This record gives sequence, structure tokens and C-alpha cells, in this order.
Amino acid sequence: MIARVAWLLARPGRAGAAALALPVTAFAIVTTLLLGVLGGAQSFWTWTDDIGITYQALAVIALVLLVVPLLSLGGAAARLSARRRDDRLATLRLLGATPAAVGTLAVLEAAVLALAGALVGVVGYFALVPALGLIVFRGEPLGAAGVLLGWEALVAVPVGVVLLAVVSAVVGLRRVVISPLGVRTKDEAPRMHWLRFAIGAAVVALGFLLMSALQVAGSMLVVFAFLAAAFGGSLAVLNLVGPWVLRLVASGQAKRAKTPARLIAARLVLESPKAAWRQVSGVAMTSFMAVFAGTGVAVLGAIGASPDAEMADLVVDLRTGIIITVVGSFLMVACSVGVNQAAGVLDRADLYRSLGMLGMPVETMDAARRRAVLSPLRITAIGSAVIAAVVMLPITGIALIVDPLSLLVIAAVLAAGIGVVWLGLVATRPVLERAAVA
Amino acid sequence: MGTFVLEATGLVKSFGQTHALAGVDLAVRTGEAVAIMGASGSGKTTLLHCLAGIIRPDAGQVTFRSGAGGVDVTGLGERERSRLRREAFGFVFQAGLLIPELTASENVALALMLNGMPRPRAEEYARGWLAALGLAGMEDRRIGQLSGGQAQRVAIARAQVTGASVVFADEPTGALDSATSAEVMSALLHSTVGQGRTLVLVTHDAQVAERCGRIVDVRDGRIVGERAGAGAAPAAGPAAGPAAGPSAGPSAGPEVAA
Ligand SMILES: Nc1ncnc2c1ncn2[C@@H]1O[C@H](COP(=O)(O)OP(=O)(O)OP(=O)(O)O)[C@@H](O)[C@H]1O
Ligand SMILES: [Mg+2]
Repeated sequence: MIARVAWLLARPGRAGAAALALPVTAFAIVTTLLLGVLGGAQSFWTWTDDIGITYQALAVIALVLLVVPLLSLGGAAARLSARRRDDRLATLRLLGATPAAVGTLAVLEAAVLALAGALVGVVGYFALVPALGLIVFRGEPLGAAGVLLGWEALVAVPVGVVLLAVVSAVVGLRRVVISPLGVRTKDEAPRMHWLRFAIGAAVVALGFLLMSALQVAGSMLVVFAFLAAAFGGSLAVLNLVGPWVLRLVASGQAKRAKTPARLIAARLVLESPKAAWRQVSGVAMTSFMAVFAGTGVAVLGAIGASPDAEMADLVVDLRTGIIITVVGSFLMVACSVGVNQAAGVLDRADLYRSLGMLGMPVETMDAARRRAVLSPLRITAIGSAVIAAVVMLPITGIALIVDPLSLLVIAAVLAAGIGVVWLGLVATRPVLERAAVA
Repeated sequence: MGTFVLEATGLVKSFGQTHALAGVDLAVRTGEAVAIMGASGSGKTTLLHCLAGIIRPDAGQVTFRSGAGGVDVTGLGERERSRLRREAFGFVFQAGLLIPELTASENVALALMLNGMPRPRAEEYARGWLAALGLAGMEDRRIGQLSGGQAQRVAIARAQVTGASVVFADEPTGALDSATSAEVMSALLHSTVGQGRTLVLVTHDAQVAERCGRIVDVRDGRIVGERAGAGAAPAAGPAAGPAAGPSAGPSAGPEVAA
């Protein structure tokens, strides 16, 4: 059965090349990033001194921060391939394919796309090796030979990417009802309790106290532990409070909206604040991390102002690591926004086509969908930067945070995050244009 | 009733090897209701889309006449046709195809806002039309909280609120049971021909077609027959509608809209 209908799915769909190219590009970028970080970090494991362990721990954190967005990317890619084939589902059903069979095909397709992307990603990694070799850690460039991975990693990473894509595709597809009628008929918009906000505020206050207590703590280890606790706690708060805040803001926007695009955008967010949050939470975490870690490094720099060369190196290297992780996770977020948006457009292709018939300009539809991502993104990015600053305030003091240089760095990080998401949105405009044409 | 609001001559449209329209001539008078009937795949939707300027025929011409004179719809560019559809035409589709996240009144008001009307006024008109179509008290419900028939009436309000001079409906009752379908047809006829406006309707349902003034049969992309329907006499319109009265729509006709 699967074999018989597979050819039907293999033909190019109405959605066109963009819907295929997007997930492949996304998986390629993910693979290149993972290999690049692994390659860069592998030399850390050749260091056997005390501080080497610190480097290894930090590399693991960076990898984890990069793998999390990868999980949602696989789900989005599977959703996209299911949607891309929506126009052929009726035919498939006539041929006797069950929804389960269609789901299997979507998962298979996600796996194939992930594999193709992963292979491109390996090529991308090799192209990147000379540049990676220039990165300086502990006062010395890593060198091209130092960042070149063995064949084990070159096989394991693509396989891992494909496996993750399959797992998240299976999980993601469970949430999607595959139906030829793309219009959802949920009856009530979800409500969220203010208690979320109360709990969030309490945890931030606790973090603030924790950091205040930090000033009396002496040892570096205690400082690290406190930092980690405050970091994890605040991140959890962000996840708890984020959707609630988005809903609150969007409901105000829906009331005040004066243009069709603004009205639709606000209602899209209100429909599912959690989904809106999920799309932008990657940027939230990254900008949170950038502020948190950035100021943290500055503090460590101040503590370690003693003429300790190793300590000075660590501070510089932490900064390098943070920049790499920030850039990497922004790229991940851009990929997942692009793939999610393409799937979202195809989800409602019928609706977009009908709006086009009514005479709604494509620009209006595009503006609505862009705004539905960018508006939560702005709130999220700024909100998480502010929370990070509040938690860090006790140890850094106001002077460091409002220091022009840190403000500039924070602003640059936020701008870059919003910029890459914007790019992800622009990349999916062709999908919308195709869907909206009668 | 002399003037033709829409006049199509020699319409031809092919999709690859399929000849969806093979030379269609059709003239629609102002204020009449025309039903287009025919088997599946006979070219009804394609004809409707050509008349409404959604797609361009390979050959032939469609002329739309309004107070401001005639427009060659087929000669207009993509942007102008989109604007014409927005300002002068209304559409009702089989599945409603309303924006599910918006409330009933927002869906209707959107049509006016697209033409540049400020939101408070647009929502006021929208509420008036929804009330006139029997949906008072449901204005703030989201589309998912309405029944199929109610959603279809929201779509009718959206098609009419701009004061559109022609409403195109592609199987507007296709997804409804026969009782609901009769109600929706009444609402549709009242808000169009009842106001001196024109309705062009595609349907499979003979009972629905009978309620129009004229029935046109299509087969293999040609018009093969034409007869009078029972519903030739215009009925009384929804009196409470703010846009009641021919071409006294809230945007006061397509020419004035921003
Ligand atoms: N976009 C398109 N691409 C290719 N073929 C098309 C397209 N639109 C219509 N056709 C073909 O043109 C013919 C007429 O289609 P049309 O949609 O006008 O039929 P219809 O009378 O509305 O049918 P139904 O009652 O099933 O809606 C059909 O054979 C159809 O397959
Ligand atoms: Mg049709």
C-alpha cells in the first residue's frame, strides 16, 4: 500500500519548491552547527588540567542549548510534509490509505528530508573548518586539524539528526489531524490563570535574593552553583509566564487594532498563546542567556581581576563561547520559524486562497502572519532580557548593566535575534504567494 | 431592468488538456438572481471565477457595468482585479472560509476595513448586518462556535456589508441540510436581489436553483440550456440592515471607497 501510493506523494505539490527546500536547509544548518560545535569543543577534551573540566562542562551546556531547538524543528518539518500533501489526501483516501499510512509517509518524508539536509550539512561543516580553526581558545587558535572530526562523529551526527527528526515527527504529527479541510474548528480560545504570573514573580524574587546572597559567598564553585540555579529557575519562569504575557498583550492589541493585518495578527496569537510562545521561545532563551552569561562573565572578570592568566583566558573564552552559542541558537530559531511558518501557511491554504478571491492583498495576509510572530518576539526578547538583568542586578550592580557597552551588546543581540526570525518569515513568503493565488 | 451588470462573451479557458470553458456567452441583468447548474467538472466554478475576475480566460471578455460606466474585467491587471473584487463584488463559498480566529462581527467588518473604513464604524455596520440576518447576540462568537448555517450567514453578511453590487456564491448550501439550506438561501436572496443587487450562484441542488430568477445549464464548458426559475420576484430585504437599499452600502459604492 505504502509503496503504491508513495509515487503519488513524490510528485511536486502545489506548494512548490520552497516547502521542500526549507526543511532541507534547516536540517543542513542544524547539522553544520552541531558538527562545528563538536569540532571546536573536541580539543577541550585533550586538556587534562582542572580548568579543562570547566571548558568541557560549558561545551556540553552549549550543545544542549543547540539540541533543544532541533527537537521542535523535526516536528515542524513533519507537519510541513503532511500539509504539503494535503491536496492529495483525498486521492490517497480513495486509494484506501488510512490516516495512519499517510502519517507514516509524512514521517518517512521528514526522515528523507532530514537525511538530505544532514548530508548537505556535513559538506557545509567541511567548508567551515578553515574558519573554525581560526577561533581562539586559551590564547591559541584551535587550528584546522584541531577542529576536524573523526569519521565516527561525521556518521553519528547525521544519524542522530535523522533519528531526532523521526522521533519529533511522530510526536508532532499526533497533534495534527490530517484532514483535507484545513480549517480548524476549535470552539473556545484557551484561558490562562494569573497564578502563572504570581508563581513567576515569586521565582524571580527568589532568584534576586539568591544572587544578593551571592556577594557573601567566597568560592568559585559556590558562585557557579548559584548562577546555575538562578539561570535554570529564571528560564523555567520564562516558560511559565511567557504565554500568559503574550495572551495579555494580544488581547489588548485585538481590542485596539485599527487595520486588518493588526487585528488578524492579534487574534492569531490569542488563538494559541502557547504556540506563539513556542515559536519565539528560542529567542527568549538565547537573549536571556546572552544577558545572563554576558554580565556573568563581566562579574567573573571582576572577581578574577587578580593577575591570574588562566582566569583571564577563561573569561575571554567564555565570551567567545557565548557568542558562538548565541549565533548558533539564533540560526536554529530562524530555521524553525521558517519551517513552522511554511507549515502554517499550507495548513490554511484554502483560507488564504479564499481571502485572495475576496480581494485581500497578499501583502495584508503576509503582514498579518509576520506580525503574529514578530510582536510576540519583541515582547519576549525584551522581557527575557529584563528578567535576566533583574536577576543579575544584585551581583553586577546597576553600573555594569547600564554601562554603554553592555547595553550595546544586549541591544545587538536582541536586534540580531529579531532579524533572523524576520528572515525566516521572509523566506516563506513564496509559499504564501502560491497558496493565495486562485 | 434593462441594464446588464455583467456581460461575458466567448469565454474560453483550458487547464492543460482540460477545456473547462469552451465558448460561453452570458449576460446578467442588474438585480437578478442567476443559478448556474451542471454536473461536477462541467466548468461552473471556472465560469464563476472568470465572471468575478478571479481568473483570466484564455479568450473572451467580461464587462462589468456600474454607475461609473463599464470596465473590461479581463483587461485589468492582478491588482486592479483584486481591488474590484474587494470593492464591487461579494463572495460566499461552500465552506464559509471565514477566518476561524476572528469573531463573527470581526470577519464581517474586515471586508469594510480592507476598503479603508475605520474599525468602529465597520464593526457597527457588521453588527447591523448580522442582526438583520438573524445572528443578533452571536456577534462576538468565534466561527468555531457557530453552526454551519450560522457561519454561512456570517459569510453572506461579509459578502454584502460593503454594498457589493454583485454577489458570487459557489455552492453556498453545499454543506448544509435541506432545511438549513432553505433558510440560508432566503437570507442570501433577501440580502442581494431583495436590495436590488445581483446574485450569481453555482449549485447542484435543483431546489436551490429554482428559487433564482433564471437557471443556466452548463455541460462540458458550454451553456446548453436556460429557463426561468420560480423566484423571479424580488423579496423584501432585511429592513434593519444598515446597508439596506440598493447601492446605499456603507462604503457608498466602490467608487467612493478609499
Ligand atoms: N486549477 C485547475 N487546474 C487544472 N484543472 C482545473 C483547474 N480548475 C478546474 N480544472 C478542471 O476544469 C474542469 C472544470 O472545473 P470546474 O471547477 O469549473 O468544475 P465545476 O463544474 O465547478 O465542478 P464541481 O461541481 O465539482 O465543483 C474540470 O475538469 C477540472 O478538473
Ligand atoms: Mg465547482
